Amino acid sequence: MMKMKGLALAAGLMAGLMGTTALAEAVTAAPGQEVNAVLLPKFLGILPFDQANRGAQEAAAELGSTGKLEFIGPTPENSAAGQIEMLTTATTQKQHVVMLSNNAGDQIAATAEAAQAAGTKVVTWDSPIPNGAGESFFVAQVDFGSIGTVMADMAYDLAGGAGEFAVLSASPDAANQNAWIEAMKGALAGEKYKDLKLVDVVYGNDQSEESYNRALGLVDKYPDLKVIMAPTTVGIVAAAKAMQDEGLCEKVKVSGLGLPAEMVSYSLNGCAPQFALWSFVDLGYLTYHASYALVTGAIKGEVGEEFTAGRMGSFKIEEDPGRPGAKRVLMGPFTIYTKDNVEAAAN
Amino acid sequence: MNGLIGRVSPQTLRLVALFLALLATVLFFSTQIEGYLSARMFNRISTSAAVVLPIAVGQAIVIMTRNIDLSVGSILGVVAYMTGQALGAMPEMHPVFAVLLAMGIGAVAGAINGVLVAWGRVPSIIVTLGTLALYRSFLVEYSNATTITTASLPQWLVELPQASLFSIGALDVRVTVVLALVACLVVGVALSRLRAARKFLAVGSNPDAAKMAGIDAPRVVFVAFVLAGALAGLSGFIFLAKFGNITVVAGLGFELKSIAAVVVGGVSIMGGSGTILGVLMGTVLVDTIDNSLTRWDMVSEFWRDALLGMLIMAAVTLDTLAARQLARLRRKEGGAE
Repeated sequence: MMKMKGLALAAGLMAGLMGTTALAEAVTAAPGQEVNAVLLPKFLGILPFDQANRGAQEAAAELGSTGKLEFIGPTPENSAAGQIEMLTTATTQKQHVVMLSNNAGDQIAATAEAAQAAGTKVVTWDSPIPNGAGESFFVAQVDFGSIGTVMADMAYDLAGGAGEFAVLSASPDAANQNAWIEAMKGALAGEKYKDLKLVDVVYGNDQSEESYNRALGLVDKYPDLKVIMAPTTVGIVAAAKAMQDEGLCEKVKVSGLGLPAEMVSYSLNGCAPQFALWSFVDLGYLTYHASYALVTGAIKGEVGEEFTAGRMGSFKIEEDPGRPGAKRVLMGPFTIYTKDNVEAAAN
Repeated sequence: MNGLIGRVSPQTLRLVALFLALLATVLFFSTQIEGYLSARMFNRISTSAAVVLPIAVGQAIVIMTRNIDLSVGSILGVVAYMTGQALGAMPEMHPVFAVLLAMGIGAVAGAINGVLVAWGRVPSIIVTLGTLALYRSFLVEYSNATTITTASLPQWLVELPQASLFSIGALDVRVTVVLALVACLVVGVALSRLRAARKFLAVGSNPDAAKMAGIDAPRVVFVAFVLAGALAGLSGFIFLAKFGNITVVAGLGFELKSIAAVVVGGVSIMGGSGTILGVLMGTVLVDTIDNSLTRWDMVSEFWRDALLGMLIMAAVTLDTLAARQLARLRRKEGGAE
């Protein structure tokens, strides 16, 4: 009797174990199913989003989806309102999934929830819905915390371990930039960075002329400034151009997140010797794979599920450490560009 | 005193008030910011205002005819991109031709606005709100998500923003600044001296009377929009030279910058009055305030835009009150005589 009980218990344990291993094993969605998807960037017309589309198209072709993958987005001057409108349209069209790089903050949450209720999944990438409402999960380019460390390290290197530096960001309400700056401030508390001083954070609103003027404002205001850290592709080019124009490249180095194609001349002439970025092609590719698996039911979008994403290997859905209650799929890593590898990446 | 007010035209008074406001701003910030009254600060503000000035002058012409052009920011973006691309493909293009090309592309875009407003009889705010989006969408399609980079531009253009025409001591007068000032001067002199140019004011002040006086009002409005487009094109050229890196977001929000400069410069939003000298001072004032606030520790980043907005409102309110007060004084004076 006792023995029987033990056996049953063992069997139960076994089943339980098998259950968990089955969950932990990466699932591969069956190819060739119909998935109608919309890739919705912040706005159309700039390189990173175009690259993401290239990656998504690559994934769609690989998976042989019989549905359509559309790349639509608002024009730059109508970004936030345009995104909400397009998400609504996609819902009424009964699209299976909308892949969104959110530029509308929490405003879009209600629309995203309505889309989910009507059967259109919303997967965010690049920039999430800050409060996490309405999104199935967020495909994060890199761990937001580690961007902070990388920015702190680049500032440390370029300043020679000590001195003043400042941040030139996008807009004051940009969710991703703000999270990265916070993460960087956290990293700066470490012993290694004790001689490095963050003197100011200014915003160029992702406009060339504003970013350019803010960068000049920084060097005027802080004569001992050694580094301008711009975690935005518009800001970093504008700052580099400003330093070059003023002949300040020897004194003030520019760094941050930039596109190799736009940064190549500044990397080579020493105005921006070091900057970082991840691959937007890979980000689009992974986002499509994750969305395809979600729509076809291979995954449900629960924490702990693992899925394969073609050439990139397998990924796991986890809690988003930056947004309580929200879920993310972490891509990573990113590349540090210097004069040695920037030219190859630019072409 | 009353006699003096009676003799001085309201326009002149407005200019004096603007000049005093500019002087007060500069004096105030010179006590707040270290090294403010320097050649460096002069260069910062002059080169930054030079980008906005042509577009503001164009906007002023349109507003004088009792219209508005919301599409100038999009025109700037299209021009900066297309001119950059043309210079990348034909680096040996003559600089003068490059400027003319930029102004030409702008003029074509302006002509489309002009036809729709002048002969299509659609209110300008609607037409240009439409072309604001239309030109931007065109740029998105046309650019195919590629960026114009400094590396692709001819060397003379990349060096142009740093080139000085002449220097007075440490004060450099940059070529881009001169370019903007020349455009401003030509329009300003034409408006005050040429009869043909005064038609802009006539149409704006009273369209019906202008028609009675034999002025072809639609033609005048059309020309105003073409000029606004061409001047936005000139701003686009300076923008290209200064920033080098052009994407589809170039010039976003410039329509509002130009309107702010024009309104602060004392051009009536109801049309029919205003001076180009006022627009010049308005542009410089707005830019000085913006560039100074950036360097002032007392104001946080978040309040800068709000403060700028308040100052613009204050300028306009003051202007209206002064004009009303002046009219009252004049009536009194007229009664006394």
